[in-house]
Amino acid sequence: MTTTTDLRSRVEPDRVHGSLYTDPAIYAQELERIWYTTWVYVGHTSEIPQPNDYVRKNIGPQQVVLTRDRTGAIHVLHNRCSHRGNLVCDADRGNSSSFRCPYHGWTFANTGELLGFPFNQGYGGAQAKERLAGLGAAPRVESYRGFVFASLAAEGPTLREHLGAAAERIDQLCRLSPEGEVELTAGWVRHEVTANWKMLVENETDGYHPQFVHSSIFSISGSGIGALYSDKSTAVTRALGGGHSENDLSPEFRKLGVPMGWAGTPEARIPDYAAAMRAAYGKETGDEIMINGSPHVMIFPNLFIAEIQLFVIQPLAVDRTVQHVTAIQFAGAPDLNRRLVTQCVGSVGPAGMLLADDAEMYERNQRGVAQRQPEWLDLSRGLQRERTDERGFTVGTATDETSMRAMWAHYLTLMDPA
Amino acid sequence: MDDDGLVASEFATVRVSLDTQGNSPRLRLEDLRSGAVRFLDALELESIVWAPEGFLRELLDPSRHRWRDDGSAGGGP
Repeated sequence: MTTTTDLRSRVEPDRVHGSLYTDPAIYAQELERIWYTTWVYVGHTSEIPQPNDYVRKNIGPQQVVLTRDRTGAIHVLHNRCSHRGNLVCDADRGNSSSFRCPYHGWTFANTGELLGFPFNQGYGGAQAKERLAGLGAAPRVESYRGFVFASLAAEGPTLREHLGAAAERIDQLCRLSPEGEVELTAGWVRHEVTANWKMLVENETDGYHPQFVHSSIFSISGSGIGALYSDKSTAVTRALGGGHSENDLSPEFRKLGVPMGWAGTPEARIPDYAAAMRAAYGKETGDEIMINGSPHVMIFPNLFIAEIQLFVIQPLAVDRTVQHVTAIQFAGAPDLNRRLVTQCVGSVGPAGMLLADDAEMYERNQRGVAQRQPEWLDLSRGLQRERTDERGFTVGTATDETSMRAMWAHYLTLMDPA
Repeated sequence: MDDDGLVASEFATVRVSLDTQGNSPRLRLEDLRSGAVRFLDALELESIVWAPEGFLRELLDPSRHRWRDDGSAGGGP
């Protein structure tokens, strides 16, 4: 097992050691100290709108069931029968007040409570329920504006403490709905790559790669987004604390000054949405929200909000990671939502061009980093021009590796708290 | 419930229909996994609506009726 001393020697301010992406012992330690300790995004309340709705989700390799009980309370349950350890739920989603294990029929309420089992005389009668375990549950479950997070540690920072300034980015996203709510109801695409999960986290707010990796989709779609990731851009990369980071393109969108310019969607195409926004917030504020745009924020360790789509990162092994992707939908915005689904199909759908580009880079990167020399990955871009903004956040230009350096610094605080 | 009156989850599959063979309409419930059928009349349905939550929780205990091993009648439709 790799010691934490080893880890400290593998993360430096401007470079990281390649073994951090390939060493199974480090990965095992990450599961315990990051994925099974800190707050991890699980799902959204809009995915379980009705009493007794449930969806299958994950916390890294752990399979969990996100449930809403009959009273409306939300639970995150381990998908493991307390009898012989079988998976209790198999369907991706459903509505049921109780779950019956298909192996021996042990039956649990959607709160995790054991309701009974067949032929209970073998256990001394029905009263055995009192001593036998129910489904395991995440000890801490909290939600922020519908985004449900869980921590498998009984104690630790609150969700609000964990989110810090990243919560404002969720606020920014929700404000793009005339009703102030996001709905994740468009369905999910599952992209699996042969790569370490941290390559994905780092890439999400890496503004250095889009002009190279995504040049084809930018040229085909006529998108001006690629040009915003340049040293001439007023956009910035900002470390938000807690390992969270963003590419803040809003200065460029404000220069453009066109409502929905950030989405490349002329207002004439979504008249109902624009009208609803102005009715909800007033013309000035409504226009400001629509001009300012949607966040591009990586909420450590697994939630990536990328303007119009949302990614959930799920590590399955040291070199195996799944990205679950959905089109973001805004409550009260049917005309915009239709366009967002279409745009997401083009970018991150099964034949989408954006995520396929990234997936290729992830897998090449994983193969490349396994080579022996040089042993280190460089993280120095923009280190000399980093600054602290008025709120105390570290900021670099749109293409600087500020976010990666901050992620690794936070990584060490979790992996080696001493 | 879909158009065919199918109420299904990964845990159970039941077809629900309205039966008018009797002198008053009844609900016909068919467990498609076993073929067992139960009819519920209006008063029985009303009683279920008014039953406390604990009543259904007890029914969901597999040993309560269907899978008993204490020698008593297991019940059933």
